[in-house]
Amino acid sequence: MSEEDNIAIIKDAVSPGHRIVLHHGGPEHVITVKDRIPFGFKIALRDIARAETVYKYGEPIGIASIDIQTGQMVHVHNMEGLRARGDLKESKTETSREER
Amino acid sequence: MKHTFLGYPRESGAVGIRNYVLIIPAQRQLNMVAQKIADIVPDTKAFISLGELGRPKGDRLVLQRTMVGLGLNPNTASVLIIGSSRGAGYEELKVEKICKEIAASGKRVEVLFLTEEGGLYSLLGKGIKVARDMVLEASRFIREPFGLEHLTLGVKCGMSDSTSGICGNPTVGRVFDTLIQSGGRALFSETTEVIGAEHVLIRRAKNDAVAQKILDAVAETEQKAKDVGEDIRETNPIPENIAGGLTTIEEKSLGAIVKAGTSTIEDVIAYAERIEKPGLYFMDAWMSSLSLPTGYAASGAHLFLYQMGGAGVPGREFPLPAVSSGIVTPIMYLTGNHETFERAEDNIDFNSGTILQDLETLEEVADRLLKMILMIASGAKTKAETFNHQDPVELYFQGPSL
Repeated sequence: MSEEDNIAIIKDAVSPGHRIVLHHGGPEHVITVKDRIPFGFKIALRDIARAETVYKYGEPIGIASIDIQTGQMVHVHNMEGLRARGDLKESKTETSREER
Repeated sequence: MKHTFLGYPRESGAVGIRNYVLIIPAQRQLNMVAQKIADIVPDTKAFISLGELGRPKGDRLVLQRTMVGLGLNPNTASVLIIGSSRGAGYEELKVEKICKEIAASGKRVEVLFLTEEGGLYSLLGKGIKVARDMVLEASRFIREPFGLEHLTLGVKCGMSDSTSGICGNPTVGRVFDTLIQSGGRALFSETTEVIGAEHVLIRRAKNDAVAQKILDAVAETEQKAKDVGEDIRETNPIPENIAGGLTTIEEKSLGAIVKAGTSTIEDVIAYAERIEKPGLYFMDAWMSSLSLPTGYAASGAHLFLYQMGGAGVPGREFPLPAVSSGIVTPIMYLTGNHETFERAEDNIDFNSGTILQDLETLEEVADRLLKMILMIASGAKTKAETFNHQDPVELYFQGPSL
């Protein structure tokens, strides 16, 4: 995990209400889990506003597609990638020219 | 400690970890003959392609590089080429050309033509006779000890989940670092799975020119993805990645590049392009498990490491995505997910999931992996090798189909 990361990977599946103690980067603080999160899935370490960048390994992995609260699971329902997005109009090449 | 394995010395100075007679049909009309010979004679491998007809020159060159490369691969002891008649076929794929390039290595290369053997039935009989003789001769080669500088490994990740980036891929990366430091060679690829991680990868490029090649390869692939008109998430991350906890291509890529370790990237090579010098190379190619092992084998890889996640694969057990698409290059399966290993121990050779269980350190697991690789290089079979099955191979063609 890196300093910039605003998500973490769940090592053992957790349920809502479960409390996770974080020692990472400074004084320890507690996060209350808000969703059922399976092994290997992502949890928000802090509130992430819509369009804010999500960081893992200290690198951007996409943005929040809706506001995400601390302790919620972070996955396809609330975040999206920014790369190779052929569905976004500005990134189309041939198709968008034809549409015009 | 010096790491050694027992391999077959070849006349060119290369060392094989397997000892196959390779049968190459130069034209697709002869695929059947090549396969029938391979079915009858043990320790032979047939290269059955999807065919050359109606493919543009760039793709015919892919086929040529693949045929020649598989013949030159050190795991190939000798080569039997089956052609329709002298001078037949596309220029790039003429029997004479393929034969000459492979024979330059000093290997025995035999050629049989349909027209000169008196038709299909006698060609098949003659092919069996010649292949048996070649297998007999190859079986008399004896293994000798060699160091890591004689080993070339290729890696691909598959069915990736969140353990891939933190257990499985770092373990392979650590072994790659040792291999490169010892003067060996390594290959990684899957250009789509560099999208979003290229800024990290280019820090290790040998020079600006190599960095630019990486950026260009990724940009070209990203543009192809955009031209489809979809969010790439409809295609890659694949459904099994998403079910395994990976959310975006950027996230998948950042975990995927870790499998190549931390060595300098010497160059970017094309699919099935041969590597002539030691070091780590990036092959600009497609991730498919029916395509990449063949490409690596043609580049000279001895062993294909298939690093699995697997959390997103439903059910108690799951089969291997590819058994034999390396043709002469065996496939070894690994996972960084202990649950995957427990579910599929019949099919997976190595488990690094113990890191996440706090049972072993990364160093300990990497050391264990290197030992197993050396054992496999010395002749121990991978689990995929215990199936007598030949996968169809899909070379990385660019088209158009004409």
